[in-house]
Amino acid sequence: MNYELLQPDSLSGAMEALAQHGDEAKVLAGGTAVVLMLQQKLIAPTVLVSIGRVPDLDHIRTEPDGLHIGPLTILRDMERSSVIQRRFPLLAQACGEVGNVRIRNQATLGGNLAEADYASDPPTALLALGAQVTATSVRGARTIPLEDFLVGFYTTDLEPDELITDIFIPASTPGSRMTYLKYKSRSSEDRPCTGVAAIAAFGAKTCTDLRVAVGAACEVPQRLPAVESLARGQALTDELIGEIAAGYADSIETLEDIRGSARYRTQMIRVHVYRALEELRNGHR
Amino acid sequence: MNKAKPMMSNRTLTLQVNGQPQTLEVPSGQILLETLREALDLVGARNSCGIGMCGTCTVLVDGMAISSCLTLTAQVEGKHITTIEGLSQNGQLHPVQQAYIDHGAFQCAYCTPGLILSTVALLNEHVNPDDATVREYLAGNLCRCGSYVNILNAVRACHTIND
Ligand SMILES: Cc1cc2nc3c(=O)[nH]c(=O)nc-3n(C[C@H](O)[C@H](O)[C@H](O)COP(=O)(O)OP(=O)(O)OC[C@H]3O[C@@H](n4cnc5c(N)ncnc54)[C@H](O)[C@@H]3O)c2cc1C
Ligand code: FES
Ligand code: FES
Repeated sequence: MNYELLQPDSLSGAMEALAQHGDEAKVLAGGTAVVLMLQQKLIAPTVLVSIGRVPDLDHIRTEPDGLHIGPLTILRDMERSSVIQRRFPLLAQACGEVGNVRIRNQATLGGNLAEADYASDPPTALLALGAQVTATSVRGARTIPLEDFLVGFYTTDLEPDELITDIFIPASTPGSRMTYLKYKSRSSEDRPCTGVAAIAAFGAKTCTDLRVAVGAACEVPQRLPAVESLARGQALTDELIGEIAAGYADSIETLEDIRGSARYRTQMIRVHVYRALEELRNGHR
Repeated sequence: MNKAKPMMSNRTLTLQVNGQPQTLEVPSGQILLETLREALDLVGARNSCGIGMCGTCTVLVDGMAISSCLTLTAQVEGKHITTIEGLSQNGQLHPVQQAYIDHGAFQCAYCTPGLILSTVALLNEHVNPDDATVREYLAGNLCRCGSYVNILNAVRACHTIND
């Protein structure tokens, strides 16, 4: 374990350290993934750039167009934030179901997104919410829709010198109902086997907008706009819900790991998309 | 640029451990669990899974339970660390410690320091937690002896103490 630990106390200091060390450097936020990998000797960075001392990166800030969340916000603060509970309850749910309390006290939202582990909860909720990630380096800042940010297994669109500096969630249609269903196939504090995030807006009798994201069962969380649009202007009957659930189960290429086979996951997607939409229709939340 | 790998340097830092400032020289990549056990001889926090799942290494940082196996000591510089050794006051056990004894909430007790610290953190956050809250909160502290029923009884007894 031969690396140098840098603890810059400003954003510019952190960005300069990354600009200088680039590929050789690893960002350290809460450390639940990085320290684990260092201890297991799975990574061997030359320089570790801790951003824990950079001020003002743990904001949860309401603006007219939506909510801005700082990357150093710990998952426990996401779960307990009254603004998030009120406006984006599925995100409070998804963050509140991550691992155990100790992990949520330490793990940051930025770290969760940058790690891009498929067996994660917050990214699926954030995808349904249409979140955007701001990445900043000495070269400037750019905003990336989450579906472009999450590229594949443990892979994001971030360049080695870039830091996540903000996560933005656009305001959703007032009165929208939303839910996150985490399905765990092993123990109560396990990572997800599948995760389903669903958001629906309703008119007098019909659904005016539906967004469904499925994660943890596949390489990156996915939305299927063509299937979502089946609901537009329709009443969410059992039959239609079944059709949408089948659409997700049939289209998503599932993966196989210790938490379930690919076939099992396909079935679990069908079941949990169905349950999520039932819950939204019945207005449980 | 010098491409030679830098050697892991030592650094001097100050932690507030159980109310006492401790100035230590530790390798900059050392985990808190190791610092507590090796440099400070506080061996109540124990290494078991090393991956954040079992809770035997639980300590409180500014009152919040964390896994000291996944925390670099340098990350908690200047913060208040509470270990099981710091709970008793003037020779009096903390009420949570006493409740665990009264309810026989352990067998081998390997998990106990972590569970007691998690219980203290739980009761800091919730005055009167219901069983579901207790179960959810303590789910990440595993007890291989299966003392869970008595642990739950001990925690229930703690909030009558709190009342
Ligand atoms: C026991 C256990 C159980 C878990 N269970 C779940 C679960 O049920 N669901 C779930 O979703 N997750 C789970 N996780 C994963 C956990 O959520 C992530 O490890 C955590 O969110 C990572 O955040 P961190 O702050 O600890 O990141 P770190 O470990 O500090 O960093 C993680 C990665 O992100 C990079 N990084 C961090 N911050 C930034 C930034 N601002 N800009 C650019 N790059 C950055 C780092 O370089 C690194 O590559 C679990 C983890 C453990 C150990
Ligand atoms: S040793 Fe740290 S959680 Fe198991
Ligand atoms: S009492 Fe033995 S592990 Fe809990």
